[in-house]
Amino acid sequence: MTPPVLLERLRRRDPEALAEAVRDHARPLYRAARALGFAEPEAEDLVQDVFTIFLEKLDGFEGRSQLRTWLFGILHRKAMERRRAAWVDDRADPIDEVFESRFDANGKWSRPPADLERLFQSKELGQAIRGCMDGLPANQREAFVLREVEGMETDEICKILDVSVTNFGVLMHRARARLRECLESKGWKK
Amino acid sequence: MISCRNVSKLLMEDRLASQSRWTRMQVRLHLAMCDLCSRLARQLEQIRSAARQVGDADPGLEERLIRKLSGR
Repeated sequence: MTPPVLLERLRRRDPEALAEAVRDHARPLYRAARALGFAEPEAEDLVQDVFTIFLEKLDGFEGRSQLRTWLFGILHRKAMERRRAAWVDDRADPIDEVFESRFDANGKWSRPPADLERLFQSKELGQAIRGCMDGLPANQREAFVLREVEGMETDEICKILDVSVTNFGVLMHRARARLRECLESKGWKK
Repeated sequence: MISCRNVSKLLMEDRLASQSRWTRMQVRLHLAMCDLCSRLARQLEQIRSAARQVGDADPGLEERLIRKLSGR
């Protein structure tokens, strides 16, 4: 929950309260926007948009959720809008088959994960991971960024993305499987 | 005993924390004995830590935004 005192100050348009909210939340929002694939100036612009909408809609915010959840919800909608990304219902994602093909009928590894230590120790890791993240579908990328980059709990992410816990698990599984396969395909195996 | 496939699935779905104590213990034991699954678990950690390095803002971000928003 957002503290009522802060909410009241924000509603009064107290400049110090706004500054406090910006100092608390702008950096994680910016980091998430960058991780979602927005270039530097666009990411900053997007964060500014988030706070602008936040100020416009503030009177409708009852404070039942955390301020952070609300701000990230706005970021999610604005990012989707800018990307014109469809929140695709990808019930049959080919990455599921790729994952299953790594195991035999008894659930033992038939195609084990390659050793990627050389890549993980390399200076090019950042570039490689960014490239692979660019290949994630929008919904998988968002779930991954909120969990792995921002370290949010499942409940909060489900509220932001408006998905069930089960659906979130599927998104995470596919995002991680896709990222791992992508890194492995870059030819860094030992 | 829990299979490599099921351990991998639980790790990748991020559902380990919500499992029963028994399942969590089985996964821990499996990871202690299976090099390939523990390699996967390590790689998922490494991917997380690499993803966190992507795109932090310069130190002036907050003050720039406060200026822009105050002018509204």
